[in-house]
Amino acid sequence: MNLLDFLPELLLLAGALLVFLLDVLGVKRLEVFGGIAAAVTALGELVVIGDLGYAPLHALSTIPASAIDQPLGPTLYAFTSLGLVFQAIFLLTAFLVALASLSRPSHEPGAAVFFGLLLLATLGMLLVAVASDLIFLLLAIEVTSLSTYLLVAYPRKEPRPVEAAMKFFIIGALSTALSFFGASLLFGAYGGTSFYALGAATGYVGYPYLATVGYALLIAGLGFKVTAVPFHAWAVDVYDGAPDDVSAFLAGGSKKMGVFAFFLVFLGPLLLAERMPSALPSGFGPSLQITLGVLAVLTMTVGNLLALRQKEMKRMLAYSSISQAGYMLIGVAVGTGPAIAGATFQVFAHLFMKTGAFLVVGAAASIGVGPLIDDWRGLGNRRPSLGVPFALMLLSLAGIPLTVGFVSKFVLFSAAVQAQGYFVWLAVAGLLNSALSVFYYARVLKVMFLEPSPASAGVGATGSGRFGGIGAGRAGAILLATVAIVALGIYPGPVISGIQLAATHFLQIGA
Amino acid sequence: MAPILSIVLATLLVSTLATFFAGKRARYVALAGSLVFLVEVLGLIAGFSQWAGFASGHLPLYNDYESYSWISIAWLHVNYTIGIDGISLIFILLTAILQVATVVYSWEESKRPAEWFGLVLLTCLGCFGVFVALDILLFFLFWEAVLIPMFFLIGFWGGPNRRYAALKFFVYTHVASIVMLVSLLALAFYSGASSFDFESLYGPARTLMPVTQVVLFFGLFFGFGVKFPIVPFHTWLPDAHVEAPTGGSVLLAGLLLKLGGYGLIRWAVELLPTGASDLAPLLYAVAFASIIWGAVIALAQRDLKRMVAYSSINHMGIVLLAIAVGSSLGITAAVLLMFAHGIVSALLFMVSGSVHHTFGTRDVSGIGGITPRTPALSTMVMVGSLASLGLPALISFPAEFAAFLAAWDRIGYWVVVPLVVLVVTAAFYLWMMQRVLFGPEKGVPPTVHDLPRFELLGMAMLAGATILFGILPELLVHVIVASPIAGWP
Repeated sequence: MNLLDFLPELLLLAGALLVFLLDVLGVKRLEVFGGIAAAVTALGELVVIGDLGYAPLHALSTIPASAIDQPLGPTLYAFTSLGLVFQAIFLLTAFLVALASLSRPSHEPGAAVFFGLLLLATLGMLLVAVASDLIFLLLAIEVTSLSTYLLVAYPRKEPRPVEAAMKFFIIGALSTALSFFGASLLFGAYGGTSFYALGAATGYVGYPYLATVGYALLIAGLGFKVTAVPFHAWAVDVYDGAPDDVSAFLAGGSKKMGVFAFFLVFLGPLLLAERMPSALPSGFGPSLQITLGVLAVLTMTVGNLLALRQKEMKRMLAYSSISQAGYMLIGVAVGTGPAIAGATFQVFAHLFMKTGAFLVVGAAASIGVGPLIDDWRGLGNRRPSLGVPFALMLLSLAGIPLTVGFVSKFVLFSAAVQAQGYFVWLAVAGLLNSALSVFYYARVLKVMFLEPSPASAGVGATGSGRFGGIGAGRAGAILLATVAIVALGIYPGPVISGIQLAATHFLQIGA
Repeated sequence: MAPILSIVLATLLVSTLATFFAGKRARYVALAGSLVFLVEVLGLIAGFSQWAGFASGHLPLYNDYESYSWISIAWLHVNYTIGIDGISLIFILLTAILQVATVVYSWEESKRPAEWFGLVLLTCLGCFGVFVALDILLFFLFWEAVLIPMFFLIGFWGGPNRRYAALKFFVYTHVASIVMLVSLLALAFYSGASSFDFESLYGPARTLMPVTQVVLFFGLFFGFGVKFPIVPFHTWLPDAHVEAPTGGSVLLAGLLLKLGGYGLIRWAVELLPTGASDLAPLLYAVAFASIIWGAVIALAQRDLKRMVAYSSINHMGIVLLAIAVGSSLGITAAVLLMFAHGIVSALLFMVSGSVHHTFGTRDVSGIGGITPRTPALSTMVMVGSLASLGLPALISFPAEFAAFLAAWDRIGYWVVVPLVVLVVTAAFYLWMMQRVLFGPEKGVPPTVHDLPRFELLGMAMLAGATILFGILPELLVHVIVASPIAGWP
């Protein structure tokens, strides 16, 4: 094992330790911690992009090209290009959040804890992306989970975040327990926990009941992480109660980790099993796909229906986030190369639109806009610098053309149609849901741009200080997300080709 | 060959962006951009006789054809493909004329003028894109891009109930768009075409099984029909029109409704001929329903704007009738009629806007005998109304005549039904004009002024087009027939 293969992970670990060390040494300025966090995530991002084979950054790459996308063996970890794509997504989310958080009050107590935990949570996600063993995977998820429980409760003096963190912790513990129990049943059934072992054994013994139950428990356990309905109830309270930046991180990052875990657990072994020479008649694969398909449809529909009724901005965004998870699960259910690419691109798009949206909510809160959607009345006219990016993010979430959200949905749904069979219905369900979701996104647009500002809007109407009182870091993060939404909406070609290549390789790792 | 259409698109884009950021000079920038656009379009028409694309009889069927790869992955090939034939060109001409007229008419817009003119230009940009796009995704992109500026035009500059109307407009047409997109994607996947290009769809789609064609055509008909609008999916239109500002109404009636008709011809009838002929009875029924229902409700209106809005449904019903006929004469008539309706309804919406701010009401029963005091306005009322009822030598007449002639070939004496409706509406218009223009003076404020000159100029342009193309419809027909579906070769 070459330790340098884990350069991004090591960078994050070093960054986190440095932050904690400086805190102990008495440094109290938030900018220092935030700067470290932003720097190591940015550097890690560059390294990962270099590893992905982007020529100009080749000098930074540490993983030899020959080590990527190798056939799976009975190992703990393996580098796949799809995993690296997800690493890039996680690091970018963390970078945006760290950048935006630089604009928090300079002497905020506990800043070191916030940025340190942010880095540790990201570290866990990076490890998820290279896992090739069920236990390794679940432990990596735990690293992230434990950090995020604390992150949610980070403003310790306020009751709402603490309540949210408590809920998050209890549900998270339950989901961990379910996942590990499922893993132990799979170990019992197949005599191993690496994906290679699971796949190979499936080829010989098929799907004993023990394994079926194990997979079912894993669907539940990981379902909590991706906020799949019916395991979604915690998400809204947590997103709503957590500080805005943490919500942005949870929506943009830790849920995506769940999506990749779904890829690994449900596509890895199954793909391997299909390729085993003496494959038994596999009666389980199709039923698993149907289960996942039902889960996907339920998730997007319930998320959308509940979002329709929300009066608070963050709760609306949280439910919309649940419905977006439903779209991503289409990719897992369909399981073909195009579908995986589509889901991955959807994850990538979601990073900009949802993380960006939560960052805008944070910015709005910092200039005195209340939590209700009605409090945003006239904001688009009063503060176009916030209103226009937010409008673009919502249009992107709704899947309106010229935004990245349209392209990602288009690719994903067309992949489902291309897979034919009953998968076409998944695309139809997705499209109907997109149509439904327009209602609540358009309503926010209407409130922001067409309704007059409330009488009390004098507060923050003219921002004080540079960047309208929302801070350079946050303004930069919002700008970055907005530019990405439009640029990738107009010219997604190179990114989408790269992701498609990664997805194709991912399907071949079992060969 | 120079990428002419891309250059036109680029000038539109530049002028739109420049208008948004021009502040107080927005209207000058908008006018300059619109005039450049108009000149470019006239140039396209002038270069028409040298078109190479058609003469060869081979693909591409379209002139000024450009195609670049945009997204290319294993199962998805999307191109930036644009090109025009005679039909597209007519609609582009309509876009250019209405853009100039709208900018001139609303010259004195004082509520956030930069945004107003920018959104007007953006709407026209989207329409231009729809008319030149020859790739499913590119087409859909422009199609949706029209929605957003219109949403703001209605929702920000509209009447008292504007927010409701804007939201209803957005949601209705967006849902229809999604049905349309699904049908187009299904078309692409079922035909097994190599890309989403119109040209590559053309062959495979036309040879699809009849059953498949019927199902796909039905989906497309619904998707495009809501924009038309066809009865019973028309209810968004009166709401949107009544609340929309005058300029918004002009673009809505003049251009946005045409998107539905254009889309139906280009993407449904042309690609799925068997589906179109198998479903013709349904189309006839819907067309009759729209013609009768639109006329009956229009007769019952006292609000001038509502009346014009419902008469649009009536006229678009005749367009649908002509499309349903499907012969090259029918398609030519449908395109001509859409052009005519674009000009005339735009003129009538300008008239009702001006009536509103001259007399403070649009209720036609409340005013009368306005000619002595406001001669220019009443001239415009007269030109618009006479054109709308189909007076010979004005633009609608040749179009409606051709439409009924084409319909006669297919449905025989049934053509009497819309003709009777037409006579009744003509009588109604005459009666309305008699009371409002020439009766005893009623409801005219003592300090009334005739039209402001920019409003007059905007209307006069359209009135001029009405007369010019009414006398010389050949100018348009000559262009329209240069398309595979309306007569070529």
